[in-house]
Amino acid sequence: MARPIRLCLFVFVVLVSVLGVVGLVAPPAAEAQKKILNIAAKEPDTLDPHSSTLGQSQAISRFMFRGLTRFAIKDGKVTTAEVEPDLAESWTLSPEGTIWTLKLRKGVQFHKGYGELTAEDVKFSFERQINKAPGTRYGVNLDVIKSIEVVNPYTLQIALKSFDPIFLLRMVGYQNGYIISKKAAEKLGDQFKWSPVGTGPFYFERHSPRDKIVLKAFDKFYGGRPQIDEVHWYDVPEDATKLIGLEKGTFDLLYPEAVTADFADQVKKMGAVIDRRGPGGQERFYINMTKPPFDDDRKAIKETMYPGGLARVATSCVPPGYFGHIPMEFPEHNPELAKKLLAEAGHPNGFTIKNYFISKSFFYPKVLTLAQEQLRKVGIIVELQVVDHATFHENIRKNLDPFVLYGGTRITDADPWLSLFFDSKEIPDPATGNNGTNFAHYRGIDDLLTAGRVERDVKKRATIYHEAQKRIQKDLVCLPISDVPGQWARNPKRVSTPFDPEYGEFSLHYSYNYPELLKVLK
Amino acid sequence: MLQYIARRFLIAIPMLLGAMSIVFFAMRVLPGDPCVAMMGDQATTEALAGCTKNLGLNRPLAVQYVDYLWRSLRFDFGNSFRQGYPVSDYIARMFPHTFILVMASAVVAALVGIPLGIVSALKRRNPLVDYPLRILALLGLSMPVFWLGILLLIVFSLRLDLFPLIGGGDLDGVLAMLGSGEVFTQPWDFLAGVADVLHHLTLPALALGFTLAATVSRLSRSAMLEVISQDYIRTARAKGQRERLVVYKHALRNMMVPLLTIIGIFVAIALTGTVLTETVFTRPGLGKMLVDAIGARDYPLAQGAITVFTMTIILVNLVVDMLYAVVDPRISYR
Repeated sequence: MARPIRLCLFVFVVLVSVLGVVGLVAPPAAEAQKKILNIAAKEPDTLDPHSSTLGQSQAISRFMFRGLTRFAIKDGKVTTAEVEPDLAESWTLSPEGTIWTLKLRKGVQFHKGYGELTAEDVKFSFERQINKAPGTRYGVNLDVIKSIEVVNPYTLQIALKSFDPIFLLRMVGYQNGYIISKKAAEKLGDQFKWSPVGTGPFYFERHSPRDKIVLKAFDKFYGGRPQIDEVHWYDVPEDATKLIGLEKGTFDLLYPEAVTADFADQVKKMGAVIDRRGPGGQERFYINMTKPPFDDDRKAIKETMYPGGLARVATSCVPPGYFGHIPMEFPEHNPELAKKLLAEAGHPNGFTIKNYFISKSFFYPKVLTLAQEQLRKVGIIVELQVVDHATFHENIRKNLDPFVLYGGTRITDADPWLSLFFDSKEIPDPATGNNGTNFAHYRGIDDLLTAGRVERDVKKRATIYHEAQKRIQKDLVCLPISDVPGQWARNPKRVSTPFDPEYGEFSLHYSYNYPELLKVLK
Repeated sequence: MLQYIARRFLIAIPMLLGAMSIVFFAMRVLPGDPCVAMMGDQATTEALAGCTKNLGLNRPLAVQYVDYLWRSLRFDFGNSFRQGYPVSDYIARMFPHTFILVMASAVVAALVGIPLGIVSALKRRNPLVDYPLRILALLGLSMPVFWLGILLLIVFSLRLDLFPLIGGGDLDGVLAMLGSGEVFTQPWDFLAGVADVLHHLTLPALALGFTLAATVSRLSRSAMLEVISQDYIRTARAKGQRERLVVYKHALRNMMVPLLTIIGIFVAIALTGTVLTETVFTRPGLGKMLVDAIGARDYPLAQGAITVFTMTIILVNLVVDMLYAVVDPRISYR
């Protein structure tokens, strides 16, 4: 009886041992001499920089593409609200403020022999988005443009519908600002999304679906060839696996799904660092002023959310680092005061919010669970329905949640930020199909937004947005929880960055602003 | 026999159609718009309408349904909404990874689970053997593959550095060599490729196999218990046959039918288990792809993957049914 069982066990042990030994005697990597940067992140859904809203897709875009302007490096830090020339070497604005003339840097080469960058490429890059070419996502950010005229191969004129105070920010190499090769996009068509051609420091080499993407250093990069020879971007969905890989040395950089206290602790224990870049996203609650129990008729109940909701570290509904930010004054977190206010509002025993929908992805469950616990102490019971992210998006646009937890990163200026989240045009309405993000259903700053868009005096513009934040504060429609930096874990013994890990880069790229400055160490 | 197989294939058609229809409508009943999922919160109403049109989602549901079935007949599942790749190509690349993971974990589960189940049944009156084996089986049943996977990675990949942390090895290369005939001209390269694939496969197969071995062991135990209580076993023992012969010649053979049934069920369980296993071990495969596709409301990708899953389960069960006749001559197919 025992013989075949022993045989089974023997076969099993031998198999495992042999495969283990294969690992021990596996030949050294043939490309050991190359400087390879190994990144663990999720797989991008496309490499067309104008076509994805996912963080990992935008992060990898920065390795391959550049824009006319870039976030300025000042005092060893990368700023956000200031720009400097990149593919454009200079620009002028007409006296009436609607025509920009941009001169391009000469000799900039596209990857894979697609030739020199010209004004035609810039015109094509913007027009494909303005014309809403299938798959493009950011045309809305370029709607201010009336026409684009190529003056000569190195000069173009962009006419605006009206003065735009943040035009140069829109031209930053970020989302809609990236310049692609017209010749490549026209030649490759639908294939362009997996055969991208830009002017960045790395070019696309190959993609093994659900495995990795390989980028290679671009010898003709106008900023000089990067020190790193290759970038291997692995599709690693699980943060635990990423951490093991960082400790083992399989990965040099991690783009985590969420940086929890435990994640940060483990990174620190293994001698790695977390590079924090900000302003990144902001997590905040929008309180729907048209839906019970927090509608304006019951303002007293709404007031309980401030001392009774989540303890906050964010200071304003416009994150710091964004043009126009000022600290707002909200009531301190104080559960006792919240209970008292709730009793005064006629709910001494609190109340229950049923079927509150929350996404199971990203930071949502973590933050909402904390808020749920703190609201419970006050007497507000929130019964959660955890749903997938797409369902959450749909339900919050159907106004099913009386207050909405939301996060986001946008161009670093109060105008696009406030316009997206507080302009009455953005009130979601299933009846009209409006999928906007004004979840508070707020109408209180429309006049200020209009005024800000035409104001050319920088100080006056700032004052307008300060006033907008004060109104939002008074009307209790937004509860900012925390400003969340973009965070990657890095093995400092393997990779160096010239910028301070603590907010040395204030960027929006979901990645390092200048990947060409990263260095692989011995 | 051939008539039986033909009949089973005919029965499989409505089953497949039913599964495909359920998937098609279930994906559309799920809340969440693929365009909102893809375009994010900056998308205007016009942009979303344009996206819906580009993806063909503005057509009547019946038209979409018929189109989907018609294309599927030709193994054309359309293009992935998100990544743009033809779904058939995508599945063709991913399926071999999932298939070998399921097969390897089946081997692990069989090698571990069946002997344990048999020993546990035969030594059921010996608490020193039976109890530890039952505890082991319970541990396996209650141990999530996710947790065991992380544990194996920490011990065998991180600490002992015996196995790779991620990836599925160069399976594409191995298959290409098989397809082009290079396996005969460059046998050593081929074997090196196979070793690399097996090297990457070991830990995931162990993780999935061990958790499933517990189920196999419990089912084998009850199958063996049922068999050894039969009259013919008692007769064999009464004739003075050695216990080893009784077990191998009589009990084990008669246990094969329920064991085959277990294997059929096992493939279905293993296929669902690949979702977590592929995620933890960062292996390419259909399981991981399916979860992402459902989350992103990538209808063509999810529909294609589930269709392939269903076909695999139907085929495996058909093979199992046919094997019944091989292992038990009393069974015949008409």
